[in-house]
Amino acid sequence: MLKFLKSGLLATAVLAVPVAAHAADVADGEKVFRKCAACHSVGEGAKSRVGPHLNDLFGRQAGTVDGFKYSAAMVAAGESGISWDEQTLTQYLVKPRDFVKGSRMAFAGLRKSADVANVIEYLKTFDEKMASSLGSAEAEMEEAEVETAMADKPALAADMPLPEHDGAFKLGRAATEDEVAAWDMDIRPDGVGLPVGSGTVADGEVLYTDNCAVCHGDFGEAVGRWPVLAGGQDTLTDDRPEKTIGSYWPYLSTVYDYVRRAMPFGNARSLSDDDVYAITAYLLYLNDIVEDEEFELSNENFTDIHLPNEENFIPDDREQEAHYADKSEPCMTDCKPDPVGITMRARVLDVTPDSEEENTGGAID
Amino acid sequence: MSKKTKETMDGAAASRRRFLQAGIAGGAALATAGAARAAGDPVITEVQDWNRYLGDGVDAAPYGMPSEFESHVVRRDVPWLTADPVSSINFTPLHELDGIITPNGLCFERHHGGTAIIDPADHRLMINGLVDTPLVFTMQDLMRFPRENRVYFLECAANSGMEWRGAQLNGCQFTHGMVHCVVYTGVPLKYLLEEAGVKTSGKWVLAEGADAAAMTRSIPIEKALDDCLVAFKMNGEALRAEQGYPVRLVVPGWEGNMWVKWLRRLEVGDEPWAQREETSKYTDLLANGKARRHTWLMDVKSVITTPSPQAPITHGRGQTVISGLAWSGNGRIKRVDVSLDGGRNWHEARVDGPSLSKALHRFYYDFQWDGSDMLIQSRAMDEAGFIQPTKNELRAARGENSIYHNNGIQTWHVKADGAVENVEVS
Ligand code: HEC
Ligand code: HEC
Repeated sequence: MLKFLKSGLLATAVLAVPVAAHAADVADGEKVFRKCAACHSVGEGAKSRVGPHLNDLFGRQAGTVDGFKYSAAMVAAGESGISWDEQTLTQYLVKPRDFVKGSRMAFAGLRKSADVANVIEYLKTFDEKMASSLGSAEAEMEEAEVETAMADKPALAADMPLPEHDGAFKLGRAATEDEVAAWDMDIRPDGVGLPVGSGTVADGEVLYTDNCAVCHGDFGEAVGRWPVLAGGQDTLTDDRPEKTIGSYWPYLSTVYDYVRRAMPFGNARSLSDDDVYAITAYLLYLNDIVEDEEFELSNENFTDIHLPNEENFIPDDREQEAHYADKSEPCMTDCKPDPVGITMRARVLDVTPDSEEENTGGAID
Repeated sequence: MSKKTKETMDGAAASRRRFLQAGIAGGAALATAGAARAAGDPVITEVQDWNRYLGDGVDAAPYGMPSEFESHVVRRDVPWLTADPVSSINFTPLHELDGIITPNGLCFERHHGGTAIIDPADHRLMINGLVDTPLVFTMQDLMRFPRENRVYFLECAANSGMEWRGAQLNGCQFTHGMVHCVVYTGVPLKYLLEEAGVKTSGKWVLAEGADAAAMTRSIPIEKALDDCLVAFKMNGEALRAEQGYPVRLVVPGWEGNMWVKWLRRLEVGDEPWAQREETSKYTDLLANGKARRHTWLMDVKSVITTPSPQAPITHGRGQTVISGLAWSGNGRIKRVDVSLDGGRNWHEARVDGPSLSKALHRFYYDFQWDGSDMLIQSRAMDEAGFIQPTKNELRAARGENSIYHNNGIQTWHVKADGAVENVEVS
């Protein structure tokens, strides 16, 4: 039985250096196999677990590993003549339940065809017959490794280059400008980070209606319990304040930053920078901070706009509260008049998830 | 209601039913039955199945799970709190746990865009901004830095947030369950920042997650260089996916939201970024309409975990254990007091187990219950001298709209039948 073909330094070298995709099939397949490893094992001493072991799979009739309890469907598939080869595996792994209707394998399938090809390549390395013909595959692999190794990185630990930076541990590598640009998308109140671009209230209305209104409501008033985005001005001292962009948020930069990074919910990063300017302009409009539908927000005029509640944020001064400022020993006896009374019970406002049970005869009531 | 929620709730209801049956009434029934059966308790006098037939072999569970009799010990959510389970919260079942360490599978969850599933081979951590060399680390790189092991509590700033307007939720899982405490293995954040070389103008660090919320928080550089960790293990094993696998930030003693999960980027800057989670959220609105920002520290706090509404006293009067948790973002807990009469008189509780800075502390108060009504409370003091305030003191200082940082003293009303209710007292 062949062991893992690659490990340790070789694998690392291969990972670290971008290599031609085809040379790394087995290594990539090994990664894909992590999705299978919860249920299947391969290699020396592999046993059937949630799924059957996958050694010597090629040419094997479906549903025939001794001692594994297959679904009737899988056994029937095998009896009808299905055995495992590149083609049947490809079909099965893309949509397990379509290929074998009633298969018990609780796995949705692999979406990328490269993943399928790679995992099959990986499974071949645990197949005795394939291995004998694989003399060739193995040789190929070794060749690929040698090629990779020769192309760029030597395989010996002592020869591995260290990154060129001043860090004490010499770990990590320098980030490229493109990489930093791809991830560094935060925007500060002073406008640092704003991309070049613009968008109007009118454009924003269309985008908002299409992408945001299902949850946040046509006017930012929210549907159901999704967050409210507009209104609530002058409610901050009420019993039930409504905290929105217009009534509470200190900075417009947060709106742009947050919408661009996290909205629409479930489809983040799908809007262009101009779209986000337009939507931000529309949110200003919904909050009566701009009133002109022709208003265009851009990186040029962005920091001219101030949200109404900016001045009302203060530093953390909890330590000055009376109960914290007083550091004397706490009272231990007769600290309150006798007897202490109950002023409120949870039952009155009972919102506990399983309170239904309580109300239907629990001893707690 | 989603299917999952329904199941959670059915599970909760079933377990509640079970312990109600085992209440004092149940206990009494057993006792009578026992007395009547002169021959003795059948689980002793008769040979039981588990005493005769073989159990599972060693391979039955490659990853072991709790006993089937503990199936009610689960995280639970309050579906009405949030619009969607993907941006929601569930709660640690504190009333079922003891000691100071929370099992990984029971650590409460709070995420804003669902649990990101990330293959560690595809995970990168970038450091950029005001540094000498912007760097990218793989997980393997991170594992090559010197590591530390530290026990810390993590509390959501909104823990007990539903109780500002008065007693609401009947269960310490729901009133206090947004806290957990595990041992983290990770690399001091300082090492990573120093590897990139922080410029002298660098005063703040922005931490960013790789999830669909791309969660971000600004952290002052003093804290970042002090005790923060970039952790990849909790309680000895890899982080759970819902806790940020493969790597999360640990910001000891400070609010849970800052402990960015699925940590992918650290940016050094000279000003805070005023991200959504430090403006719209995690700012504390006061009665006068002003809002405190940068309220990072979690104040001294404690709660009695048993007895509590989900864990009534089922054994009748006599020897009784009160057990609870205390913690403070300022450091160690110096003392915990327990009151049985709603805060009139206090008794020093016994803190048992390790007393570690910014970790949960376990306390006990062992006493003879005479079977009468009690209003039980706990009050913690930390090594910095802060004393846990009452809820009314907090309301007097802040009003009722703060949402966050409610560390007020909790009162449970223990009734003569052993049932327990969440109440507020005069
Ligand atoms: C959640 C568990 C699970 C996962 C994940 C899973 N499988 Fe399976 N697999 C099974 C089970 C169970 C069966 C048996 C199906 C049956 O009897 O219908 C099976 C059957 C198979 C078979 C047929 C074997 C035979 O003996 O006929 C192959 C091939 C296979 N799986 C490959 C894979 C690969 C490759 C992956 C990963 C891309 C994968 N599986 C992921 C559980 C799983
Ligand atoms: C599928 C529902 C959904 C859609 C569609 C959606 N959002 Fe959201 N939005 C949410 C949820 C849920 C949150 C809160 C997320 C959290 O908990 O962190 C949110 C939060 C926000 C917030 C912050 C609210 C606050 O008070 O902190 C803003 C601003 C926002 N969304 C804008 C938008 C915009 C603009 C769009 C369209 C481009 C959009 N959303 C589309 C669900 C949605």
